[in-house]
Amino acid sequence: MTAASLARRPRAPNKGRAEALAGYLFIAVPMALFLVLNVGSIVYALFISVWKWNLRSGPVEFTGLRNYGTALSDPIFQTAIRNTLYYAVVWVPLTMALGLFLAVIVNQKIHGQTFFRAAFYFPAIASSAAITTLWIFIMAPDGIFNQVRGMVGLNPLFSLLGFTANQNWIGDQGTAMNTIILLNAWTTSGTFMLFYLASLQSISREVYEAAAIDGAGAWQTFRRITFPLLKPGHYFVATVAVIGALQLFDQALIGGGVDGAPNNALMTMVLYLYNAAFKQFNFSYAAAIGIILFVVIFTATLVQRRLFGQAPAW
Amino acid sequence: MTSPARPIRADTPVAIAPVGDRSWAWRRRLAYTLLIAYAILMFVPFAWSIITSFKTLPDSVRLTILPDPFTLQGWDFAITKLTPPLPVLFFNSALIAGVVTVTNLVLGSLAGYAFARLRFPGREVLFLIVLATLMIPDQLRLVPVYLIFNGIGLTKGVGQYLGVILVVAISGTSIFLIRQYFLTIPRELEEAARIDGAGFFTTFLRVMLPLAGPALGAVAILTFQGTWNGFFWPLILLQDQGHYTLPIGLLFFRTAGGFATIYPPLMATVVMATLPIVVLYVFFQRYFVEGIAATGVKG
Repeated sequence: MTAASLARRPRAPNKGRAEALAGYLFIAVPMALFLVLNVGSIVYALFISVWKWNLRSGPVEFTGLRNYGTALSDPIFQTAIRNTLYYAVVWVPLTMALGLFLAVIVNQKIHGQTFFRAAFYFPAIASSAAITTLWIFIMAPDGIFNQVRGMVGLNPLFSLLGFTANQNWIGDQGTAMNTIILLNAWTTSGTFMLFYLASLQSISREVYEAAAIDGAGAWQTFRRITFPLLKPGHYFVATVAVIGALQLFDQALIGGGVDGAPNNALMTMVLYLYNAAFKQFNFSYAAAIGIILFVVIFTATLVQRRLFGQAPAW
Repeated sequence: MTSPARPIRADTPVAIAPVGDRSWAWRRRLAYTLLIAYAILMFVPFAWSIITSFKTLPDSVRLTILPDPFTLQGWDFAITKLTPPLPVLFFNSALIAGVVTVTNLVLGSLAGYAFARLRFPGREVLFLIVLATLMIPDQLRLVPVYLIFNGIGLTKGVGQYLGVILVVAISGTSIFLIRQYFLTIPRELEEAARIDGAGFFTTFLRVMLPLAGPALGAVAILTFQGTWNGFFWPLILLQDQGHYTLPIGLLFFRTAGGFATIYPPLMATVVMATLPIVVLYVFFQRYFVEGIAATGVKG
């Protein structure tokens, strides 16, 4: 290292300048794109959100914070917030638990370990559009889910819970969101399994050997050792999961169309934003919703950092 | 099967049981049965879409594993009668995902090399900006990006392809993954080339890039999969049906196109949307798993 850096000392005075120039050239295109489409976008979105905006001519009239007020007082946006939060509160713990459970299993010395890892991750590789279309087909009133449960004699149990033999899972207001939760828990648990697996493998072996010597059983070892030592893993997976949950969109749009049918059961914050832009063509309103969404996501991330992560510096 | 060459870590101690304990053997067998059943369950929906695509319309809602009769009607309908037809959707998806993969490899390796090796004022701040782009939700960028692209004609005609490519032409993840890999390569290799008088670009191209195979592989796989499966930006930026990708085609068939319950061609489209990724997964499973783990480490 020292010999190398000595050799790199500029022998010619303009060598450093040439290196800097090469550096700027190498990053020029990506940085230009980021500057316009990311950094510039945020500033532009803030600007648009305080104007009445015309697609052709741009700003028409300064409206201040009116768009933000309108959004927060619109009952449909409130429903969208409620639905999104319900989704997050149910889906995040469910999928984390399933992912952790799978990770613990495939982290053990089992036959076919590689196969099981690959199989459990498999549902995560398909596109949201394909898997949702497929799921809706499976959960249709005449779909295979309803047929299989009838065939294996589970219908008495389902009717006890208030479901008919031809329950329309995605089309019924009471079950639509839960059907989406089930779909996404199934597909995303494989991803969380891989995240947890990386975290599990960083736990030192000695800890487990000590526990085994002390005569701890499998459940005790998991509860007292594995689970607490996975804290950084929980923090990371929970953060990714909550950010993803608050952005629920693809499955809601494919399942319920632009209106989040039936009866706004699948209306989410992002779907509401999409409608503001491409159904009402009210771009400044959509920009304001985008800012609100960003603030919600950012706040949720900070709260989680307080709860699970290291305390922030401030 | 686990081969001895593969290091396997048993992180949870094997519970101690007396040798030949019969209840233990039973529990093992039960555990493996459940595991295999759950693993099979992972493949059932995809298998069901393949089976259904070869069924007739009345047969498609029956719970039978073998199509009766076996027919190519569903595929024929998808290829010739759906609007937009399946080959157009497939072409658009392949074109966009292919180009975006190439741009991410080229731009990502150049920038990844610069951030790992070249010294220039402001490097750390600029790299922080790259990482910060990963935290900006796409929804926040929807209106500005759409208005910018609409203003410069990228929401019409062939411009739609350009727009949908430009918005994901380079990702912070690609730059990050390649930079991290370059950091692990010893400096001595480049020094030799530089002493021989090679310029920065030649050193990058001839010495460093050939060593970056694993990182480029992971970026190529993750980018291709992500773009092929992409939903949000194609939905916003592709306005004409003739430019739709497979995911947008599926949304259109289900909600507005009137094909929601014509299951065989719908499932043929699902198969075409999924199959290329499944094939990639079978051959390059390691890149998927390691790429996901690597994107996880950064957080």
